[in-house]
Amino acid sequence: MNRQDFLLEIRTEEIPANALSGARMDLARRLETALGESGLAPQATEAYATPRRLAVIARGVPERQEDRFEEVLGPAVSAAYDADGKPTGAAKGFARKQKVDVSELVVVEAARGATVAARRTVAGRAAADVLSELVPRVVTDLSFPKTMRWGQGTRSFVRPVRGVVALLGGAVVPLEVLGVRAGSATSGHRLLSDGPVEISSPAGYASTLKAAHVEVDGEARRIAILEGARDLARQVQGSVESDADLTATLADLVEWPGVVRGSFDPEFLELPEEITTTAMRTHQKYLPVRGSGGLLPHFVAVMDNASDPRGFIAKGNEWVLNARLADARFFYDEDRKQPLEERLPMLAKLAFVDKLGDYRAKSERLAELAPVIARAVGKADLAETAREAGRLSKADLTTHMVREFTDLQGVVGGIYARREGRPEPVCKAIYDQYRPVSSTDDPPREAPGAILSLADRLDTLAGLFSIGLSPTGSKDPYGLRRAAFGAVAIVVSRGWSVDWQPVARTAIGLYPALTGARPADRVLEELGAFLSERLRNLLERRSHPHDEISAVIGVEPWNFADGAERASALAEARRRTDFRALILAAKRIRNILGAEASRAEPDPSLYREEAERALALDFLQAREALSTLAAGRRYRDAMEMAASLAPSLDRFFVDVLVNCPEEDLRRNRLALLASIQREFSRLADFSEIVVEK
Amino acid sequence: MLTLQRLIAELSAYWESEGCLIEQPYDMPMGAGTMHPATFLKVLGPDPWKCAYVQPSRRPADGRYGENPFRLGKHLQLQVVWKPSPDDIQDLYLKSLERLGIVPAEHDIRFEEDNWESPTLGAWGVGWQVVMDGMEITQFTYFQQAGGIDLSPVSAEITYGLERIAMFLGKVDSIYDIHWNETLTYGEVRREDEVESSKFCFETADTEYAQLFFDRHEREGWQTLARGLVRPAYESALACSHQFNILDARGAVSATDRVGMIRRVRDLACACARAYAARWEAAGRPEPAPEPAAAV
Repeated sequence: MNRQDFLLEIRTEEIPANALSGARMDLARRLETALGESGLAPQATEAYATPRRLAVIARGVPERQEDRFEEVLGPAVSAAYDADGKPTGAAKGFARKQKVDVSELVVVEAARGATVAARRTVAGRAAADVLSELVPRVVTDLSFPKTMRWGQGTRSFVRPVRGVVALLGGAVVPLEVLGVRAGSATSGHRLLSDGPVEISSPAGYASTLKAAHVEVDGEARRIAILEGARDLARQVQGSVESDADLTATLADLVEWPGVVRGSFDPEFLELPEEITTTAMRTHQKYLPVRGSGGLLPHFVAVMDNASDPRGFIAKGNEWVLNARLADARFFYDEDRKQPLEERLPMLAKLAFVDKLGDYRAKSERLAELAPVIARAVGKADLAETAREAGRLSKADLTTHMVREFTDLQGVVGGIYARREGRPEPVCKAIYDQYRPVSSTDDPPREAPGAILSLADRLDTLAGLFSIGLSPTGSKDPYGLRRAAFGAVAIVVSRGWSVDWQPVARTAIGLYPALTGARPADRVLEELGAFLSERLRNLLERRSHPHDEISAVIGVEPWNFADGAERASALAEARRRTDFRALILAAKRIRNILGAEASRAEPDPSLYREEAERALALDFLQAREALSTLAAGRRYRDAMEMAASLAPSLDRFFVDVLVNCPEEDLRRNRLALLASIQREFSRLADFSEIVVEK
Repeated sequence: MLTLQRLIAELSAYWESEGCLIEQPYDMPMGAGTMHPATFLKVLGPDPWKCAYVQPSRRPADGRYGENPFRLGKHLQLQVVWKPSPDDIQDLYLKSLERLGIVPAEHDIRFEEDNWESPTLGAWGVGWQVVMDGMEITQFTYFQQAGGIDLSPVSAEITYGLERIAMFLGKVDSIYDIHWNETLTYGEVRREDEVESSKFCFETADTEYAQLFFDRHEREGWQTLARGLVRPAYESALACSHQFNILDARGAVSATDRVGMIRRVRDLACACARAYAARWEAAGRPEPAPEPAAAV
């Protein structure tokens, strides 16, 4: 079988950096799948992307599909031939329909007996023919966070499509994507290359574009940026952080990365470092340069250009950064005129969520809720700190600084609180209140921050769930999944073993009676399930398999820290060989008890068999220990203890007939098993665990 | 030296040479060049439209008494609208920079995602901010919806922030140091206006009157629209929008009122847009023809 490489390049106007790497993978995966389904599976695929192009090379695509042998079943033999063995109308009709001569029909043994069948060979199609049908579909099926229309407005894609290259070996595959016909010419860098760039074969794609100042490999661009930045930083005795997120974004903003170093006025180093680096990193996408003694008045900017011979680029970036920092200093000084305390009334003008009031009301609720949480986690000594942090937490939303540097909400409040000489734990709590900002970010560093962050999240969740704004499907406009995930992550990382339901009830109750609000019990039920789902996500991230998660998630659904504890205890316990017996026994108990939930205690006088007496005795001994261990959250030991009951359970199931004819004995045996199940279920639902046969 | 007035003249001459009609600034206060009927209404419907104009944009809350070197309560935008958006619109834009003496290859020019949305106009678009050497110099938008109506054909909208470009090209550290012409600076021409407007919008504007003005213009707008007069009705929406901005700068809009007031302006603006668009439907104008495939 001859094979050829296939190149597809979709050239567009600038694709958003945040959509680029997803689109690159998506295109390669969909093309590979579509080729595979068409019997043209490539040997490998390579995906490339720049802001102005998505490309994929499928290596070793078969020249054509295999010929296919097809057998189509027709009527039963009895219906196909008459008494003389002559074909009937049914057989003739079938042959005609299948486009074979009636004499070519064969008899095969089918499920319903001897059946007439038509056999034929379907010739495989040439890869180019298949591709010209399949590629347009693959491209229009790509998914993006947001699409748009352009020109006549009849087509939609992430950005307008301006060119398509489709080459199988050296030949153009005739096809059309979103109104653009494929050819063999692309274009090079927007500013550094002129005219069309002819691609002669898929193999030469990357190198041909490199000559036209386009590096199609995003990782190569990222490394070039990082290495270039490190060199420039070294020249001023400094260094840059590797900052994978920022360098990856920068790599997706340029086709031909260059780096240039600039400086800013050293007097701006007096600004809090968070502000200076946010101006650089977030606003300008520069890499800050650090020396041994802290931040240096230098930065590295990435440009979509090879060099800056006239210094325009460095000078321009310097001018912009200095202006931004001057702006920041203006805000910093201006904000000083109004301390946080005086800003609280201004929060009344800042809407929190339509129908849920403003941020003044929110901070008042947080001043109530945060101390409740402090007490719930056994830190009553932090109640006052928590109240004060809650009260002041949102004041920074009225500052010039946060309006301009929105990412620094909380951080600015913390810095200003410190400037005002407020107690350090309060400052730190305000500073950290939005952490973790993402599923990969760390939770607040210290307990007061964790308490405040939790209070804020629970307040938001309680309010939005109360007015029915919980996320539906993929839509989550208020970021409630993230908020809830952060809450669970904080509780788990702090090991705060608490039943959070009453706290959540308090949070709901802190809202004034809202018209149209839903009953608190209903809200709690939904919120509990929602938070449990986040615990599930967290455990998935910790690589717990699904059965382990299902076994622990329902045990004490509002105690997330314990859920995580149980899961790791379970993961450890199941590695032990004798655990398998426990799981099998738990499954048998579940099957035998069914939905029957007997709360009766077994009566020792009704034991008849040796095995049931033994089990009852073993259980009696283990029971207290199990209880103590579970209460002390020593789940590993508790599970080990549970596992030690497995042999007597095994023997019980071998020797004892549970569903015996004597009703009282039967009930008693069920009661014994039920009490064992009850005890186990305080640890985990072991019957959920999957065991290999 | 590229003065502010040369900058405006060069950009206008460039877009004129590309076939754009040169409109005039609209004679009413508005928050952005997009609100000019030459954009807001003309992006509706099937007719081709190529137009450029300067529009002073009033953002009362951004006023800083003429003290902040980067902020103005009124700044200048040069706006280009082109419908349907041509295939080479980005190149056309880059050539406009060359007209200003910028050699693109000597700079870093990037199109970074920046989508635009106006809740008061029921409008949104997808596009970029054009960043040159780290400075955002232009907003570039493919209009997807205006007045709540899906647009087809789609217009490209290019908005140059003129003060920013002038500051950047002149490398001056304050807006007020921009050379308006060879002899006068921006400060000499405009600072007093900034100081007084800030004082008015932040301190003295009669909020009761502004609220009344808003309410009456809203009512007038709907009445005018009921008589089929789209543009005058739309002017009422513009008037409401400006009064809202003044109330907002005065701190007279509560958190709960804000959403409602914006919605009231939007409802009127969207109704104007629908009435305007209905004229094509009434005239039985055909849908836009399908796009021919472009050869590469």
